[in-house]
Amino acid sequence: MTDKSFNPFEMAQTQFDSIADKLDLDEGTRELLRYNQREYHVSIPVRMDDGTVKVFRGFRVQHNDSRGPAKGGIRFHPMETINTVRALAMWMTWKCAVVDIPLGGAKGGVICDPHNLSAREQEGICRGWIRQLSRDLGPLNDVPAPDVMTTPQHMLWMLDEFETIRGSKLPGFITGKPVGMGGSMGRTEATGYGVIFNVREALKELKIPPADTTASIQGFGNVAQYAIELYNQIWGKVVCVSCWDQKDQISYSFKKLDGIDLVELKGITDRFGGIDKKKAEKSGYEILPGDAWIEQEVDILIPAALENQITGENVGRISDKVKIIAEGANGPTTPDADKEISSRKIFMIPDLLANAGGVTCSYFEQVQCNMNYFWEKDEVLGKLDTKITNAFNAVNGLAKSKKLYMRDAAYVIAVGRVVEACRERGWV
Amino acid sequence: MKKKNNITDDLIKSFLEREKELKCLYQIEEILKKSNSDQDQIYSRILEAIPLGFQYPEVCSVRITIGTEIIEPKGLTETRWVLKTDIPVQEKKAGEISVYYSKEMPREDEGPFLKHEKRLLEAIADRLGSSILHKRLRDAEAVELGQEPEEESHEWQVVLNLLRHTDKNLFISLSERMLNHLSWTGISEIENIELDFSKVQLDADEGLNRESNRPDKRRKVELSETVCEQIFKVAAKHYTDQTILDYLQRWIADDKLKFLAHISNRNFNLSEIIDAIRRYRDIAREGIELSPVAREGVLVSLIRRFFSSQLNYIRLAKNYVRNNDFFDVVDRIIFTKDSHGRLGGKSAGLFLAEAIIKKSEDSSDLLRSVKFPRSWHITSDVILGFLKYNNMDEVVEQKYKEINQIRQEYPYVIQTFKNGHFPPEVVQGLSMVLDEFDERPLIVRSSSLLEDSLGAAFSGKYKSLFLANQGSKQHRLEALIDAIAEVYSSIFGPDPIEYRAERNLLDFAEEMGIIIQEVVGKKIGDYFLPAFAGVAFSRNDFRWSPRIKREDGLMRLVPGLGTRAVDRISEDYPVLIAPGQPGLRVNVTAEEIVYYSPKKIDVINLKTNSFETIDIKDLLKKHGPELPLVNKIISKFEDDHLKKPLAMSVDFEKDDLAVTFDGIINDSDLIKQVNGLLKLLENKLESSVDIEFAHDGEDFYLLQCRPQSFNEDSAPAAIPKNIPDEKVVFSAHKYISNGRVPDLTHIVYVDPQKYSELGSKEDLIAVGKAVGELNKLLPKRQFILMGPGRWGSRGDIKLGVSVSYSDINNTAVLVEIAKKKGNYMPDLSFGTHFFQDLVEGQIRYLPLYPDNVKNTFNERFLLGSKSILADILPKYSSLSDVIRLIDVPKVTGGLVFRVLMNADLGEALGILDEAGKETDVDDVEIVDIEIPSKKYWLWRLRMAEQIASELDPDRFGVAGFYVFGSTKNATAGLKSDIDIMLHFQGTKQQRKDLMTWLEGWSLCLDEINYLRTGYRIGGLLDVHIITDDDIRDRTSYAVKIGAVTDAAREIPMKGKERA
Repeated sequence: MTDKSFNPFEMAQTQFDSIADKLDLDEGTRELLRYNQREYHVSIPVRMDDGTVKVFRGFRVQHNDSRGPAKGGIRFHPMETINTVRALAMWMTWKCAVVDIPLGGAKGGVICDPHNLSAREQEGICRGWIRQLSRDLGPLNDVPAPDVMTTPQHMLWMLDEFETIRGSKLPGFITGKPVGMGGSMGRTEATGYGVIFNVREALKELKIPPADTTASIQGFGNVAQYAIELYNQIWGKVVCVSCWDQKDQISYSFKKLDGIDLVELKGITDRFGGIDKKKAEKSGYEILPGDAWIEQEVDILIPAALENQITGENVGRISDKVKIIAEGANGPTTPDADKEISSRKIFMIPDLLANAGGVTCSYFEQVQCNMNYFWEKDEVLGKLDTKITNAFNAVNGLAKSKKLYMRDAAYVIAVGRVVEACRERGWV
Repeated sequence: MKKKNNITDDLIKSFLEREKELKCLYQIEEILKKSNSDQDQIYSRILEAIPLGFQYPEVCSVRITIGTEIIEPKGLTETRWVLKTDIPVQEKKAGEISVYYSKEMPREDEGPFLKHEKRLLEAIADRLGSSILHKRLRDAEAVELGQEPEEESHEWQVVLNLLRHTDKNLFISLSERMLNHLSWTGISEIENIELDFSKVQLDADEGLNRESNRPDKRRKVELSETVCEQIFKVAAKHYTDQTILDYLQRWIADDKLKFLAHISNRNFNLSEIIDAIRRYRDIAREGIELSPVAREGVLVSLIRRFFSSQLNYIRLAKNYVRNNDFFDVVDRIIFTKDSHGRLGGKSAGLFLAEAIIKKSEDSSDLLRSVKFPRSWHITSDVILGFLKYNNMDEVVEQKYKEINQIRQEYPYVIQTFKNGHFPPEVVQGLSMVLDEFDERPLIVRSSSLLEDSLGAAFSGKYKSLFLANQGSKQHRLEALIDAIAEVYSSIFGPDPIEYRAERNLLDFAEEMGIIIQEVVGKKIGDYFLPAFAGVAFSRNDFRWSPRIKREDGLMRLVPGLGTRAVDRISEDYPVLIAPGQPGLRVNVTAEEIVYYSPKKIDVINLKTNSFETIDIKDLLKKHGPELPLVNKIISKFEDDHLKKPLAMSVDFEKDDLAVTFDGIINDSDLIKQVNGLLKLLENKLESSVDIEFAHDGEDFYLLQCRPQSFNEDSAPAAIPKNIPDEKVVFSAHKYISNGRVPDLTHIVYVDPQKYSELGSKEDLIAVGKAVGELNKLLPKRQFILMGPGRWGSRGDIKLGVSVSYSDINNTAVLVEIAKKKGNYMPDLSFGTHFFQDLVEGQIRYLPLYPDNVKNTFNERFLLGSKSILADILPKYSSLSDVIRLIDVPKVTGGLVFRVLMNADLGEALGILDEAGKETDVDDVEIVDIEIPSKKYWLWRLRMAEQIASELDPDRFGVAGFYVFGSTKNATAGLKSDIDIMLHFQGTKQQRKDLMTWLEGWSLCLDEINYLRTGYRIGGLLDVHIITDDDIRDRTSYAVKIGAVTDAAREIPMKGKERA
């Protein structure tokens, strides 16, 4: 590989450097946080179905655990590279810090393609990975979770292997488990609700009553649907949603100026958030091109589908009426579009903060597991509200006081908290 | 005809009588052999045995008198219908046997008794006499045993003696056969006897001319009784008694079954043959067997008469099929009275498969448990009878008409067929079918002779119809007749005829048999459906993992009727399994599995009497718990987690359920069973196979078996050997499937090296976007996408171009290039992210390994040819280094790019070749089934020229007439429109008039195209109007004028033709 090639870890380091500049960090602290604290490379021998043994390469990167046990997903990917894993581990450190949950950042993975493996062989990899790393993991050390190509099933195999090795029940070792097997209630709602908790606080800040606002949302999957549910509960009106149409291989926007009816739309939506175009038309929805969601005359835009959706090309189509953009998806705004949004003084709720509901709920899962007592859904969502609201207020407060763009403020808060923990511990 | 029948009937009757006599004699022999039993018991058993040899055993009683002793059954009454004979011992009367009939019976030779019966009784008396003598001698203990009786006590001699008295011809014929047998087996002694009689037959003159070219004079051999005795004496020396007896019994049986010769005689019609088989069946049930040679002869004749005269079929079939397999078939055949037809290709395939599965030694109990649906057959020539009966003979000539005429007349042909009447014997047969099946749903399948002789290449061309078969019998009969007529009419459909015309098969005298099969399944509410059904192929041409081998096979499984597994339905997916590697699944994460799981189900609605497609979701809600095997078919989707449901834990109303077949795949024998079937059938049929199956919740049914079919695009392509290096763009030797992708005009090449050097994530994403745009701009299925690693990479974008299926769905081929990076060779994805979309969309997938020395990878062509990306997508010109768009005809002087893949050879080639030309291959023989498409574009171009020449430029204000797109590029297919562009300078009114005028042309051409191809697209012209402004600014379609790629071509208009 040549030096010129795209390196996600370098990109994450560059991003960190710019925040470090803002915080005016000393060289030692920078050195510590630019790299991960620990990194494990393991070989996992697996007996394949045909009797041969194949050895898989696995990783675990613990970027920083100054604030608490490291936390992060495990990826199964055939072209996994250590640099990707490092970058994602660092991202996890900031993510946990911004919502102020007492966890550090980690990430792991195995170079393998589950498409080429039988279920039994995958189980072998899961258990093998734990066998190699169990001494360095644990509910008080490092807590894995599902990620790319890993599923709740994989988590249960790993948990079982870990508990067998340790000789006790430790459900808090891993998150992303099904409800009833140590999973937490409210996980499906968490990310969508988190987006709206942020929006609600932002409206408070802007002194606009939610009932007077309208929103346009990209996507109609899990996040979007729960965001709409909660937004409607605070009397907001969604006038446009867009979604992917499997049949036409193109996306459409569905518009209704009196406000979309969530229950009605869900009734004509498949499992993957595809709305039945014909039925929607019958129910009085206007069918528009897929990117029409961005140009609606609304107060709030919520991109909750894919990466790179608001770009330099379409950012100009955002209506002057728009006051808030809440990034429900990861990285929906490209850097050039971000500059434009920042200069137009639109209130940006960055992904780090807007979709933090997910990681917060994982933390709740771990907490509940550790005390072996599980909350009802209301309790989970109530606690989530408090966490997100506090996080928003912290970021917003800093943005206001230091005249920072919200995205920068989120990073500054996150990195700042980690730096502080390192200092308190006397590391730097 | 009737007379003939009577004669044979009489013959049969006499044979049957004779057989009884023989049996009786054997039995007595057996009784006497057990000489240590009590004498009284022996006699009383003989009393019981003798009547069995007589015509009317039920009224027959026997008295034996020996000296003064009288042995008789209780209550014997003396009547006047009596047959008596003396028991001789040493030529003196020692006693008497009397046989009485208690009632008067029809007159025969001797009162009510037959001549044969008299001889039988004499033979019995003889045997009894010698037994008495034997006993006396033994009692006296004075004689050495073995001196006298040796010859007498051989069982076979008894038989022979009897025959000598009763049937001289048979006696001599058996002697002849023994003579032949002995001489063939090289027993030299027999030559002495042979010489004896040949001397008699040959006079001296003839003997001298033996070597001349004159035909040998026929020598009539008539063996004398002495010669016969000699023959058997020799036989006795060389064979055991049992062997001789076996031979005699077998030959006697052969003789009795002489009528089976009918079967091989083409002059006999089916009803006579079926008669003969039924007789044979009756005889066979009594345990009479043919000699192996005769049995094989009859078998081959039967196979040929009912199924196929193809030598290969016969050769394979005779290993497994037995004569008695036909016994049941013949009761379920419907035919006209003078039918000579066969049962057709589908029946032949299934019949042979059944024989293999049930009889092969390599089969297993699991495979033998496979069931076959009850079926009736209509012979192939009934359709001719039907045509004749309805005076429709001329419809046979339909196939020679112009295709558009055929298409136009086809609806009428269908109606004529449906209004036709069937000959009464057929209707009667169908009525029997309904009596057997009652209100069970049925499927009427075609089973034509072409399907037989061409195998897979001609499958799926004719109709199969489902019948709910509900209601009154009259109503059901009408529906059945209607369906058969409709299936018949599909012979005369434009598509099969065109298909035949293209393959020079029009002159084949096509006939169509019909199979009426019960539909496998259960009644669930108003619906009737199997638990699941599917198709399976012994060779897997869509491997999604390098670990899957071709011979691991492929299974497409759906719930309900199998129609959705057979056809490719773009919006729904069957579950794919490689039976040899069931653990390796296409879809791995719960989300993927659910996304690609079947959503709809085909069922028969018994209430509306129709075939329906319904949502699985609705069916589960309504009838979930009643569905057979439902817990093994569905999984519960909960928290991103798929769970195998526990029997009681499913709430069909509320749970999110998906069809995964997890329980079936992991906890049942199905996969083992299907894999076993594929392996066994492939091995025994010596060809890769393709089966259809269904499961009703209890049993697995095989519905069809034929050689593995290849679609037009998935037959193995011939790989030419003599292509010059500069014409080869790539070659590959790993994970090759079958297929031939002809005439590609554009190559989109994402350079792996340059792609890996891209420094920012935005650039990497832009590459995916550019590919998506090209996918929309380039002509559908006429370009190939080649790029590094895995297309559609979701995680790490630099490992492959980030695209979704909609960004590549118009490509013809998707190529993934695995180039070594340092010392690391990346795994390819095999298109896993949208593998099933690729399969259903028939997009070919090919992995390339350029670093392998065996493979050619013409980087010089790919990097050296002019790229037109910047001209087409100026906005992505910064990526010109990374994405190269090559207009193949342009850079090669009119050549096209062609991909040839042959899984059998494990080889694939991407070559530059002349458009429309067949690649020359001398040494590979392959059925070419590619449809020549030349005529479609040529016709379109002619039509465009025609329109231009009719268009008055002044009247409409048109300054220029251009054609572009597929018509100009010679790539138009059946459904392509004609892209024309008009340079317009007129008024609003003129524009309106122009559009109206063109609309007329458009609709008219569409209709003509429909008649030619069967495709209607609602207007064939795609008119693009450009103005002076457009031309000046090079906006809209005006860019096409003088464009770098796909430039528009000007066509002269009325009055402006070039001189």
